[in-house]
Amino acid sequence: MTEPVVATPAGSGPIVTRSAGSGPTVTRSAGSGPTVTRSAGSGPEAEELLVARGISKAFGGVVALSELDFEVAPGEAVGIVGPNGAGKTTLFNCLLGVVPPDTGTVTFEGRRIDRLPVWRRSRLGIGRTFQRVELFHGMTVADHLLVAVQARSSGRLHLSDLLRRGGPGEEELAAVASMLALLGLEDVADRLVDGLSLGHARLVELGRALMGSPRLLMLDEPSSGLDVHETERLAGILADVRRRQGTAVVLVEHDLELVEEVVDRLCVLDFGRMIAVGSVDDVLANTEVRRAYLGTGA
Amino acid sequence: MTTLLDYAIPGVPFGCVFALMAVGLVLTYKASGVFNLAFGAQAFVSSLAFVSFVEDGWPRWLAGVVSIVVLGPALGLVLDRVLFRRVRTASPLVKLVPALGLLIALPQVALIVAGSTPDIAPPSLVFDAQRVYLHVASVPISGLELSVTAATVAVVVALVGVFRFTPIGLEMRAVVESPRMTELAGVNAGVVSAVAWVLSSCLAGLAGVLLAPLYAQLDPQNYTVLLVWGIAAAVVARFASLPVALLAGIGLGIGQQVLAGYLPAGILATGLRPSLPFFVLLAFLPFARQRQVDDPLAGCDPPPTALVGEATGYRAANLLARPSGDGTSQPVAGWHRALTARVRRSAGGAGAGGAGAGGAGAGGAGAGGAGSPVHGAVDRLTSRPTLVVAWGIGGLAVLSALTWVPNVWLVTMTQGIAFAVIFVSLTLLTGMSGQISLCQASFAGLGGFVAGQLASHFGTSVLVGMVLGGAVAAVLGVIVALPTLRLAGLPLALATLAFALLADNMLFPNSWVGNGATGVTVPRPELGPVSFNGSHAFFVLALVVLALVAAVVRAVGQGRMGRLLAAMRGSELASVSTGIDVHRLRVVAFALSAGLAGVGGALYGSLEGSLSPDAFNYQFSLVFLVVAAIVGLGSVSGAVVAGLVFAALQTEVATFPARFSGILPVVFGLATLSYTRHPEGVVDFLGGGVLRFLARRRRGDRSDGAPDGSGTDVVPAAGWAPAVGAPAATSPAGASGGVAVGGSAGADGGSRP
Repeated sequence: MTEPVVATPAGSGPIVTRSAGSGPTVTRSAGSGPTVTRSAGSGPEAEELLVARGISKAFGGVVALSELDFEVAPGEAVGIVGPNGAGKTTLFNCLLGVVPPDTGTVTFEGRRIDRLPVWRRSRLGIGRTFQRVELFHGMTVADHLLVAVQARSSGRLHLSDLLRRGGPGEEELAAVASMLALLGLEDVADRLVDGLSLGHARLVELGRALMGSPRLLMLDEPSSGLDVHETERLAGILADVRRRQGTAVVLVEHDLELVEEVVDRLCVLDFGRMIAVGSVDDVLANTEVRRAYLGTGA
Repeated sequence: MTTLLDYAIPGVPFGCVFALMAVGLVLTYKASGVFNLAFGAQAFVSSLAFVSFVEDGWPRWLAGVVSIVVLGPALGLVLDRVLFRRVRTASPLVKLVPALGLLIALPQVALIVAGSTPDIAPPSLVFDAQRVYLHVASVPISGLELSVTAATVAVVVALVGVFRFTPIGLEMRAVVESPRMTELAGVNAGVVSAVAWVLSSCLAGLAGVLLAPLYAQLDPQNYTVLLVWGIAAAVVARFASLPVALLAGIGLGIGQQVLAGYLPAGILATGLRPSLPFFVLLAFLPFARQRQVDDPLAGCDPPPTALVGEATGYRAANLLARPSGDGTSQPVAGWHRALTARVRRSAGGAGAGGAGAGGAGAGGAGAGGAGSPVHGAVDRLTSRPTLVVAWGIGGLAVLSALTWVPNVWLVTMTQGIAFAVIFVSLTLLTGMSGQISLCQASFAGLGGFVAGQLASHFGTSVLVGMVLGGAVAAVLGVIVALPTLRLAGLPLALATLAFALLADNMLFPNSWVGNGATGVTVPRPELGPVSFNGSHAFFVLALVVLALVAAVVRAVGQGRMGRLLAAMRGSELASVSTGIDVHRLRVVAFALSAGLAGVGGALYGSLEGSLSPDAFNYQFSLVFLVVAAIVGLGSVSGAVVAGLVFAALQTEVATFPARFSGILPVVFGLATLSYTRHPEGVVDFLGGGVLRFLARRRRGDRSDGAPDGSGTDVVPAAGWAPAVGAPAATSPAGASGGVAVGGSAGADGGSRP
């Protein structure tokens, strides 16, 4: 697959191969991540990291998600593609608790999480980034990373702050420093985020999500607004993180080159349904998917 | 049934009044993104002009035309040009403070200009106010009621038409969604915004003139009370729908009349009616639509830094931007230096990195003041000589107070310290965690009442009472925080305002709390053999209390909780996604802040000897926020200065001639002009001035001694990995860019209390 596809026509083309939650079953072995053989939609759930079953969500009369099943294995990288308005971000928000789904269950490491608030899910080990960058205005890059460590470090009341000067500990500093190095953000570490370039801002977001050593990293269009070099760097960092920590990744993305480079398995979402699941090559070679997603049968 | 109608029908004109206010609020909010709390004040100005003209012998129609169609819109245009256009895309606090300042200041400006309140009863614009023109279900309808109702309905229908069916209506809706996008489409956003202000100001003028005969005497208070009802109706309309605002206003008018008719006499009838807006707000605020502060283009194209209010507004309260300094200056926090060293170790090649960062930093500072040089500048502000000077001035002031300062000014300084305690509580809540509280005076009042009641009923020492008062106020803080957990920004501010009204009307009049108009006696404390009856002794006590409170707030600001609060202020969505329990954090912040305010209230009460609910009514909450924000919410030192200045101005104004007795609110109102340009506050802005001076001097020094820029022994390096010889911090762009921002962090970042 060499054809660079960055933007997609929204909702174009006829939609074919609609079989919710049971796309083609594929055995795949992909680039950097651990190799997993799986049969989508019916795998042994005990082994899955994240399992969502029967997720539906409607906004007024608009059905954003319809009885959707979705799962991620430990260490696996799953891509979600689909035209704008297909329900990708809604799926994200339902999994993370930002938007409560109308129906369905979400399990993380065998534990039901669909009633937990967003911050509890985050502390369980799910990190995320946002389609529209969400940074803490008025804080420095280093403070962003430090917040992410300290937010997870303890659930106690903060009375200890009052009794001693609450500077960060040695381990916290070490974690921040190594994350700055990993992301190549040393030069801007003490800059306020408000003036950062979008490329740097997205990296800060990624760093914040990675600080808690999440077992699942959910990225919502991380390359949007980035140039080719920044996107390459992002892919490199993701590969690095996966290799070192075995972090599972869910990647919602329009940039198919990035998707191909990162993910092991690809889901195609359209009108709130999963219309195809499988290896990247197989799914993208599927002419029906190409027609639905890219508006071309070629 | 007849009885119900008897109550309900007279409620309709009242409701129309509320509706006019609500429609005006919704209109400016829809068209300019600003929730114009000054609407009530604008209405008062027009009505004062109208009545004054009539008193001078003008025909009523001419007086009406001039005050509604000329004066009102002219005022609106000025406000748009001078104030609100700058804050259109700023944070809710930066938008709110100028409106609050105007709400307080405009009526006083008008009264000073007019010389005095007109002696005649306000006349009616069209009909004869008292004459009965018709009967509805045998309820007589007077000319006043008829004119208000007819004008309201006509205005709302016309406005809906303008918004729905005219090009300017469409443009108005577009501008507030995204001024940048609209301008890209070839629309002049400035003109559109001006049109909206003209329209809404006409409306304010009309409301003011129509309502004038409702009261026997013109009084800005009445318009503020009406405004609160208007706010409730605007919230029911979700800040968006003009027709719903009309219906909601009428509904509220009927509701309050019916309530008044059926409720038994006593605190319920007198207290519940004015508190009705609180319950309406609480019920409807969660559904209110908040304008997006950020630009829809932000996802793909970062917004320009030219949006002044926004860019500096957030950083204004930034307590946590640590300096990256190295070399001879003293870093604000040691940990950042440790981190710098660590990064430098792991990164290697520090020289190249530092130079690169220096360049980038200077560029950033030139664009919006966000670069590293800022932090270099902060270093200098908190360097030892500056601190020595600051402590020296403080020490001299204390010494003077204890020796030669006359008693009047000693008491004023003590008052200032009590106010400073209350302002510090705002630093914590609004400055650090970004929660706007318009009920801080209620917390303070409750603290004072508890201390006084405990002392008079149980003989408890006021020192103990102060702590217990703080504790009870903290509980009240939790009670306010819990139902408002899902609110932020403007809705939270309005909910707290409504709560302040509830406290004023339902809580404080009770004999076991504020004891109504009589108030509560709060004696001076005693500690064993030591009595604090004397002014000097009490001054020392107040200083100790302030030092303790400031130490608590500073410890919070520098610690883990401060960092989490700053994160919450930066973005709640990102905070919860990072694992921060934002709800609990908010409850803790409210409780702590309310507790500190309670201590401040008790201190103030004890100083004055007694405390009545009027000393801490809802208007003081507004004034407190305005003063604290103008002087500086971003730092504890800002709060201390705010307290002292506030007390000093009050003492000074008391000596002015009667005509200028209202000059104090005018000063605050005018100060909001500076606020929209420097939301970091006066203290931090002046701190920036010191920095600018220092930077200029150092540049001069260096060009004399070391023209090659190798003077890193005097100037901290700009970059994160400070490179030897990186001169970026001294570049003009860096120095001037650092002024606005660096001061804000620096004023608090130092080791001053």
